[in-house]
Amino acid sequence: MSVPAGSFASAAGVPVRPWYRSRKLDQWICFWSVPFFYNLFGLVFVPLSSMMPPKSPSASTQQIVGFFQGDHLLIACVILTLSLGLAPVSNAVYLTQIKRMSVSPAFRVAFLGGTVMGAIVGMTFPLFCFGLGAFRPGYDPAVLVMLYDFGYLAFIGSLGCFCVTWAMFGLAIILDRNRILPKWLGYYTVWQFMSELMAAPIWLTQSQPFGWNGVMTFWFAMLVYVPWQFIIYVWIYKAIKRQPEDELDNAPSRTRVRQRDTAGAAP
Amino acid sequence: MNTRGQRILLWIAPAAGALFLLAYFLFPIFSASLSPTQTPDEIAAFFHDHGSGILGVSVMINLIGGMLIPLFAVTAVQMSRIGNSSPVFTYSYILCVGIGTTAFLLADYCWGIAAYRPDRNPQLLTLLNDMGWFLFTAPVGTILMQNLCLALAIYLDTRAEPVFPRWVAHFNVATAVLFVPGAFTFLHKTGPLAWNGILSFDLRVLTFAAYVAVMFFVLLRIVGRQTEDVELRL
Repeated sequence: MSVPAGSFASAAGVPVRPWYRSRKLDQWICFWSVPFFYNLFGLVFVPLSSMMPPKSPSASTQQIVGFFQGDHLLIACVILTLSLGLAPVSNAVYLTQIKRMSVSPAFRVAFLGGTVMGAIVGMTFPLFCFGLGAFRPGYDPAVLVMLYDFGYLAFIGSLGCFCVTWAMFGLAIILDRNRILPKWLGYYTVWQFMSELMAAPIWLTQSQPFGWNGVMTFWFAMLVYVPWQFIIYVWIYKAIKRQPEDELDNAPSRTRVRQRDTAGAAP
Repeated sequence: MNTRGQRILLWIAPAAGALFLLAYFLFPIFSASLSPTQTPDEIAAFFHDHGSGILGVSVMINLIGGMLIPLFAVTAVQMSRIGNSSPVFTYSYILCVGIGTTAFLLADYCWGIAAYRPDRNPQLLTLLNDMGWFLFTAPVGTILMQNLCLALAIYLDTRAEPVFPRWVAHFNVATAVLFVPGAFTFLHKTGPLAWNGILSFDLRVLTFAAYVAVMFFVLLRIVGRQTEDVELRL
């Protein structure tokens, strides 16, 4: 294999490519879209629209109407609509690592199904509930209160779809023999799964500590989730970095085999 | 190499197009358009007067929405043939298709449910109508990312004979850009960016129709030229 122009050899004699010619560029683009996505999400939810941290479920009707009259809810909806597609990309990053693990493809198919569900009920529904109320603040207050409940319950109370994704992900890490991600991370992911179960009482009560803004439901889940999210991405970063070049789908050895097959099959 | 199956899937797209034209001529409701500035009573009157037309369109769109999935499925399979370092773009693409088509169908349901019982409280009819428009707009984000993932996968195709011609990537980026104004419908009740405006509605619907038509011919050609067995890398 000839060394492409512009690259230089590392100490081991393996050519080191600049980042933009990396064979893993597809994985890196998707990987780095994730911090961008989460930062954007954070900015939209917390300072821009103050949807998060969640308002109280026991807010008065006036407070709820006031919330929908806030200035930036609609701008938040525009940004969310445009960035809706980044959620699938972040999930595709997990899927790519699950594919490398020595587990049945059923795990990634189940993960795939769970994330489609999750993006619809956990992201699109809250987006349009809050957006609708802000779009037409002249609605009957009873309608606005319903949208408020629908939005927050769908956002924080979407449990099963995320249970299935985290269960698939955690189990795949634990069962994997290729050691793509460390086993303890699999057990840590089980806690992420548990945090979804901990959020179940939000459907049953409107007050602390188990309401949708509760210490035991929302804040406890955040305490588990935020560090987990950071740690998982650090390890996925390492996993992409460590993946041997000859294992890649576009590795020269594999491409040659593919081209030979093509030649053989051609009429 | 037998690609007959893929070709059958592709030909479902023109069938969807024909169904769309049929809906267009059978139910002239397409030409009448709801404005975001209408009051609940006007909206109730609209659903009352056009009930059967809206229901007819709802049934047709319900079917058409599902009929687009095979075209996207063939796109995903051809994307996976490109062989980037991983199937990450193909996964993103498939997830976007799942979310976008579901949101599209939910929009259809909102309008259908409104027309099903037009004597409902006008507040609720307005809510269903607004919800329909919100859900109709939401898939902009997913089709945007769908197109960008396909474009990036094509740009990173290093095969001697690329699966997709390079211009398809440019075309996907261009259509993605044309979908962007649709997201701004939430901020406007009148003008080109309102949901019945020229940029948010006409441009978006035309772009989508042209996109499906062009991709149909592109894929037909690619599938026709495919010689190796599909190595599914998913």
